[in-house]
Amino acid sequence: MKVGIPRALLFYYYYPLWKTFFEELGCEVVTSGNTTKELIDKGIKASVPEICVPIKILNGHVLELLDSGVDYVFIPRMMSIRKGEFFCPKFMGLPDMVRHSLPGAQGKVLYPKISSLSDDISDDALYLELGEALGVSHKQIKEALKEGREVWKKFRNKSKEGHTIAEAMDYVMTGKEPEKQEDCTITIGLMGYVYDVYDEFVSMGIVDKLKDMGVRVLTFEMMDEEMLDRELDFMKKRLFWTFSNKLLAAGYKFLKDKNIDGVIHVTAFGCGPDSLIGKLMEIDSIEYGKPFMTIRVDEHTGENHLLTRIEAFVDMIQRKKVKSLKEAE
Amino acid sequence: MKVAFPYMGTTVIYKKLLELLGHEVIEPPEPTQRTIDLGVKYSPEFACFPLKVVLGSYIEAVEMGAETIVTSGGHGPCRAGFYGETHKKILKNLGYDVDIIVFDAYKRDKMGTIKRVLKVKNGKSWITVWKAINVVYAMAKALDRIEKRIEKMRAYEVHKGECTKAWKTIKEWFDHDVKTIKDVEMTEMKSHKLLDEIKLVEVPEEEKIRIGIVGEIYVVMEQSINLRIEETLGNLGAEVERSQYLSEWIDYNIMPGAARKEHELYILKKGEKYIEEIIGGHAKQTVGHIVDYAERGFDGVIHLMPFACLPELVSQSIIPTIGKEHNIPVLTLSIDEQTGTANTLTRLEAFIDLIRNNKRTKTA
Repeated sequence: MKVGIPRALLFYYYYPLWKTFFEELGCEVVTSGNTTKELIDKGIKASVPEICVPIKILNGHVLELLDSGVDYVFIPRMMSIRKGEFFCPKFMGLPDMVRHSLPGAQGKVLYPKISSLSDDISDDALYLELGEALGVSHKQIKEALKEGREVWKKFRNKSKEGHTIAEAMDYVMTGKEPEKQEDCTITIGLMGYVYDVYDEFVSMGIVDKLKDMGVRVLTFEMMDEEMLDRELDFMKKRLFWTFSNKLLAAGYKFLKDKNIDGVIHVTAFGCGPDSLIGKLMEIDSIEYGKPFMTIRVDEHTGENHLLTRIEAFVDMIQRKKVKSLKEAE
Repeated sequence: MKVAFPYMGTTVIYKKLLELLGHEVIEPPEPTQRTIDLGVKYSPEFACFPLKVVLGSYIEAVEMGAETIVTSGGHGPCRAGFYGETHKKILKNLGYDVDIIVFDAYKRDKMGTIKRVLKVKNGKSWITVWKAINVVYAMAKALDRIEKRIEKMRAYEVHKGECTKAWKTIKEWFDHDVKTIKDVEMTEMKSHKLLDEIKLVEVPEEEKIRIGIVGEIYVVMEQSINLRIEETLGNLGAEVERSQYLSEWIDYNIMPGAARKEHELYILKKGEKYIEEIIGGHAKQTVGHIVDYAERGFDGVIHLMPFACLPELVSQSIIPTIGKEHNIPVLTLSIDEQTGTANTLTRLEAFIDLIRNNKRTKTA
């Protein structure tokens, strides 16, 4: 049986778990290719115009998988991974949207309801309903998830050593150790969802571009979850969306941390939760006197424009640093 | 304590509650272009439209001297639940000195809720509070009954604009004359008499056009920013029914007892096939209402949403399928500060024309 996992949204956070899980159950796992212009165009045609870019991209990937003749496409209904918090409504309604709006999707979507208390979503109770469609037993699901959990933990740990998702993914899939980055003079905190930052098409490889400029990049998934969680203790009311909270917590951590020289917020056009995070950071970054820049990306963003802006941002930080060093002498 | 509240729909109701509790109430003016401009200027660019309008209306209320703003919170996952916090931060950043009291779900913060209730209770006895709540609840029910009648009548009035004028007068009566439950009953009777006097054109049953309005609560209820959609449709000769009325919202969200929640649960059940879980906002209700309107023989549905509204985008994606399966035309209008009146009016006219033609061909 062929199960397709679209290379979009939380693929960049949970793929090692899901891939291992399905393979252990004897399924062939197919992923869609990297995001391309043609793929996005297909997605845009199938989506309502004002929806955010990540969803349009997902639709493109799902259509590609359906065309390639998979038996099922895996689009879990992401409800919650922390008590009292949720996902963005579009994630919660994602399987409904796909089933009812993409041609040929009805009856081909596997959508277990994921509702857990932590980032670890490998509890077998969540996936039991897949048993019937895949023709496997409860016990097999449990065993497969156990394997999946191991791989996913390895992947997350690699990430937390300061490596990017792409590097950590490579490491657990092929065993390739990530290269060490030479000594850097500048560290930038990058706020952005994994599916924006690590989709090479959307972010135009911003992480690699920064690295090529000799900048060390720090993102939320490289940081300890519990530490991030405590970072928001001062808020009377946290945001409702767990990943947005992670982003915001990382943002505040960046503002306070003396070793971070500047903060860049990468956001996709039409992202609702980000509209609020952006405002909070915009107001608070002034208080901390830390350079903060928002980069809004969509399917039309030009690469030169992006490059010019990050170059200017890095140059500015470099000068500021040199100046303060001179003053210290 | 000078108290204000967010402007949405039939505002006499909130005003009455705060007045009966002995507050000096500053009623923010009905949103105008200025309100929208103020809101847009200080809100995040990609925030949803209601957040912007409400911020603008808070600023206007503060300019008029409001010291405290009372509003409701939410528990997500729709952004509306975080409005209070965002507004607080923006207003503080702008240097306005105003206290925003946000009522969240009781379970989330029990002590906080009690504190806030005591603050708004304003030292009145619990009996006064109980009485005030009863009066306001009765008033909300009465006003909704009257409004529902007007929404049907407006399509057939002989002199255009009479119903709207009467509605304004009725709201003023409720504002000035009502203090007890008895007053509510008297005023409602008087209001119906006023409506009885409006001359109507006789239209045969098979030519009547009925349109349901569904979508996000703020743009459905607040007429000043949704192009006065009910009036517009009424003037085009269509009866209107909204998916949201204040008294129904109170029934489902605030009043205890399962019996009152029945209607909403019935609607949610209808939406089950298309959106399985409650995903925030009114997305599931929206699809449920469309199915309900189709089954009740309505001729069309207008779906209103603020630009880039998270939950409504999910329902919008699914609507074409529902329209096809239930054979009912649905027009989605997404509303924000850029919405042009002429453009939307043309679309509405075309929509009603299509429905009317379709009906005629069917009967012929």
